[in-house]
Amino acid sequence: MAQPSISEDSLRAALTERLKATHVEIQDMSGGCGQAFTSLVVSPEFAGKNSLKRHRLVNAALKEEISAIHAWSAKCQTPEEYEKEMAATGGHDKPPLDGTEGGKVAGVSE
Amino acid sequence: MSSITEITSLEDWEQHVSSLPPSTLLIVSFHAPWAAPCAQMATVLSTLASEYPVTEPPSTSWVKINAEDLSDISEAYNVTAVPFLVLIRNGQVLETVSGSSAVKVRDAIERHASNAGPGTTASTNGLGAAAAAGNAEGEVATEEDPEKKKQELFRRLGDLVKAAPVMLFMKGTPSEPKCGFSRQLVGILRDNAVKYGFFNILADDEVRQGLKEFADWPTFPQLWVDGELVGGLDIVKEELDNNADFLKPYSVKANGDVFVGAS
Repeated sequence: MAQPSISEDSLRAALTERLKATHVEIQDMSGGCGQAFTSLVVSPEFAGKNSLKRHRLVNAALKEEISAIHAWSAKCQTPEEYEKEMAATGGHDKPPLDGTEGGKVAGVSE
Repeated sequence: MSSITEITSLEDWEQHVSSLPPSTLLIVSFHAPWAAPCAQMATVLSTLASEYPVTEPPSTSWVKINAEDLSDISEAYNVTAVPFLVLIRNGQVLETVSGSSAVKVRDAIERHASNAGPGTTASTNGLGAAAAAGNAEGEVATEEDPEKKKQELFRRLGDLVKAAPVMLFMKGTPSEPKCGFSRQLVGILRDNAVKYGFFNILADDEVRQGLKEFADWPTFPQLWVDGELVGGLDIVKEELDNNADFLKPYSVKANGDVFVGAS
């Protein structure tokens, strides 16, 4: 059963195209099996939407991809919010790594 | 809205049983406080109980028994594992459900609650019809109409997400989370002294898959507040970043209550 291989590149491309994202960072946190990712998505489409709505936009854009992997985390910001955080943290706005240990999802996925 | 009474002694039990009219469905939940699936079952049962109005005569009576403390009663009903549910009417055991399947438990209770006519030897004396009229479930659907099954499942899920003001659907339990995200979210709730109900989706595949569709949300853990989805770990953290008092209304700091999830 061949599935489209999910990679950091393919996710980035999908988000850029489907959400007009201006900046996307994807980090593999599966420890190698390519089934768990965390992301930072910056897009003007998030403006005026609360956290849940932003995540739903991302979930909708990546519906097939997410259903094929074990774990998915996201941080959704508008371009303004991104700039602000970068400035405030000296350039350290990154995909969230909560729930992971050493950049890898801890615990059983299934 | 019925609620569950804890039976604390043999006398209590005998007195309660003898006081029930023959038409009442007695729902007995055996539990052990140290067993995590029992905490989950308690949430499920109290949600269910609240759907049954208190009637005169009572159509349902809900009690819970600590299986270890009252071992005489446990033995009498062959309770070998917890959680364990026994459904009794007119002194007859109608059905037992062992284990933590919320679906099986609800199904058994609904079937017997609407089906007040007992089986073979017990007398009916017309009370059966009166008790059945109160519940619109009607007869048990034996063919599995998928659309109907789904509606049923969604109805149950709709209740389950409201079982407590804050509900966490997670992998594992607060004392034994089975995934890093669930573990972290439990930690956040603990740090904010939030009082919450939890449901281990690894223990119930129907809820696990059904809730993804019901919520239109692909992952777990899922935090629900006041019957609405907040989101997963990343969203909860974002909400807290935006507003540190986001969970304050649900915390128990003020009255020093003891709450679940001490690990």
